[in-house]
Amino acid sequence: MSLDPHPNLTSSVIFGLGWLYLIQFVMNFAWTWRSLKKGTHHRVPKFFGGGEVPVAMWWGMYTALLSMVMIAHFTGFSSPERFLIQLPGWFKFFVDSFIADAKWYFGFCVGAFGLMIWFRRVLATETAGWLMLNGGVLFLTLSLTDWDFRQIVGKPDNVPIVAMLFIVGYFTWLYFNRSNENDDRIEAGLPPKEAEDNEKVLVWPDLVYTELICMIAVTAFLFFWGVALQAPLEEPASAVKTPNPSKAPWYFLGLQEMLVYYDPWLAGVVFPSVILGGMMAIPYIDFNKRGNGYYTFNERKFAVSVFMFGFLPLWVGMIVLGTFLRGPNWNIFGIYEYWDVHKLEALNNVNLSEYFWLYGLNTAMPTPASTDSGMRILGMILLRESPGILLTLGYLIAMPSIMAMTFLKQYAFRMGFIRFMVFSNLILMMAALPIKMLLRWAFNLKYLVAVPEYFFNI
Amino acid sequence: MAKKLTTEEILKMSRANKADQSDTAPAEPAAGAAAPAEDSAPAKEPAKPAAAPKGAADIMAAIRAKGAGGAEASSGKPEAKPAAAAAPKSPADIMAAIRGKGAGAAPAAAKPAAKKATAEASAGNLPPVGEMLAQLKAGKKPAAVEAPAKPTLKLPTRPAPKVAPQPTRRAFLLDVLLSPFALAWTVLAATTGAWVLMLARFMFPNMIVEPPTSFKIGPPSDFPLGTVSTKYTAANGIWIVHTNQYKGKDLIYVLASVCTHLGCTPSWLEGEQKFKCPCHGSGFYINGMNFEGPAPRPLERVGVALSSDGTLEVDKSVKFQEEKGQWEDAKSFVDGSIA
Repeated sequence: MSLDPHPNLTSSVIFGLGWLYLIQFVMNFAWTWRSLKKGTHHRVPKFFGGGEVPVAMWWGMYTALLSMVMIAHFTGFSSPERFLIQLPGWFKFFVDSFIADAKWYFGFCVGAFGLMIWFRRVLATETAGWLMLNGGVLFLTLSLTDWDFRQIVGKPDNVPIVAMLFIVGYFTWLYFNRSNENDDRIEAGLPPKEAEDNEKVLVWPDLVYTELICMIAVTAFLFFWGVALQAPLEEPASAVKTPNPSKAPWYFLGLQEMLVYYDPWLAGVVFPSVILGGMMAIPYIDFNKRGNGYYTFNERKFAVSVFMFGFLPLWVGMIVLGTFLRGPNWNIFGIYEYWDVHKLEALNNVNLSEYFWLYGLNTAMPTPASTDSGMRILGMILLRESPGILLTLGYLIAMPSIMAMTFLKQYAFRMGFIRFMVFSNLILMMAALPIKMLLRWAFNLKYLVAVPEYFFNI
Repeated sequence: MAKKLTTEEILKMSRANKADQSDTAPAEPAAGAAAPAEDSAPAKEPAKPAAAPKGAADIMAAIRAKGAGGAEASSGKPEAKPAAAAAPKSPADIMAAIRGKGAGAAPAAAKPAAKKATAEASAGNLPPVGEMLAQLKAGKKPAAVEAPAKPTLKLPTRPAPKVAPQPTRRAFLLDVLLSPFALAWTVLAATTGAWVLMLARFMFPNMIVEPPTSFKIGPPSDFPLGTVSTKYTAANGIWIVHTNQYKGKDLIYVLASVCTHLGCTPSWLEGEQKFKCPCHGSGFYINGMNFEGPAPRPLERVGVALSSDGTLEVDKSVKFQEEKGQWEDAKSFVDGSIA
């Protein structure tokens, strides 16, 4: 019996992982079968003989490997100390040292997003999709051999988020898969696939039956979930006691992450309203009539990329950050790292006005004297915060014109003044979050405009 | 007996119709379904109204059959059209048929229950529409309508109430108490009563009653220099701080344990000598000044004073904000040298 209070492997864990490998085995067995039926072959390099082998052979080999790993789990679970199939320490260290740093994490998210769009032709094929699914499940399975990873991912709260990651991945893949097909067709002068397959169906019975069946299936699933996973209830709420870490519902973790960088009235009121209002405004801003009712990327490159950037790295990415990486005291932890309450992270944040007056000009900050009148106090505050105020106004006023004169010339021309102003300001607001995050990480910048006297901080 | 038309068949009929608008080829299912209905309606009429409609499909079939029959009756030449042509094909046809039937069989057609009358009406003993209208104008009722005996709605006869020859008082009471009405009212009353009780319970929530805002926390000697006391945090939401790290003066003061960012309760980390908020990571030095995370202001002080019995007395009803210069207020601290 191991004396480690946080054992990476226990008998029940190994046995449970055996089931996960069994699922992967069945999945890949079916895929091998499919590949065999399709009968595709590929040529092996000259060095290995240069003959042709069926692609199914490779899948078969992987399936066989999975079956052996599965058998090892089902037979060797009685002695977890001697069980060898687990994530190596160097891998955990490597992943943790990158992912526990918000800069790297966010950079990884944006980079993966860019690569996804750049390599959409390759990634949205069926084989690539299957490989990514396999990779994701295998990564999850191997990571579950880590005690800390299990603590985070195995929480009943976090089960829907793990499911969501796979679902988001699938639908993104599906979108690009269909778009690639349609883009090819459009390039060849054909109508999109949806235009050919436009047989209309009846509401009753076709639609209503489908809806009814879905309703029953979802209800049954929710019942099963409610019975299988216990509700993560906590102690009675108390105004003077906050759980550590204290997390918003998972779908609001993007907002909570925003609150780290912005003042509550901005991150909690203004930005959510802008997000909602902006999404409602999209149909009125959009002048591109193509891509209506069918999947396409090439005909709506800008619109799709901007929306996906807002949704994938900025919303889903922040949910993942908030769920899996934010630990006690809202510090960032690696996925294989112990949630240490005493983890020290130097976060000595400085306002822009302090940078400007104290470090830049080497003078004292303009401070109102206690005898000053109200107007004079306000003037002093405005003077103190003038660098940030000018910068913010410049960003919101000058940037639209710059955008209209440079890379969004066509858009400004097609949209007209008011529509373009709405559009460019929405884009700027969306960009404000990553910009502020970068400023915080790079310069420890707390607020651009800090007027704590009137609860106004940007 | 009319073949029971399912919704699918009806749909198929209308689709088939749409497909061949030429109207030359008779639509088989329609003809097959409608023709027997036509025939059987008059023939079987006296037997019994066994063809009580079982579903929407039946009703539709009946209406159609009737429509055809009625139309023929009014036109007066039953064999003029082939059955297929008479069978309703398109919505327009159906409407026409219904109208024709409306003229012929309207008074009786409405209720499927009045099957008998319907059948008689469609048997063809109705005068044409024009005549009926003329009769109506003349102030008479259409004769044909009066001719058939009015369909009597056959309700299942309720069993005669048991009239016991000599109802005892007890039996009567039992009858009343067990009657459906009494039961229903009892259940309703019980439900409403339980609901009212729950509402009453709701008015007394399971919560901690707010402690008084002014209270004593013990002598100053309980709080030695360089310490933060979390003794009253859980109950009263305050920290008692004794430090010389605010402007170099040795002071005892009381901080409200409310983060100035969004109001969570930070935790005092003894090892790191800081207050750290679990919600968004704001950090405060021991003296209450904010230095990390998004909190825009220092923690707030509450009132503290040395009471006449030598103990410290906290007054949570007043707040002192550093950024407004209120920490200079003498009510916001006690000289630490007395500890």
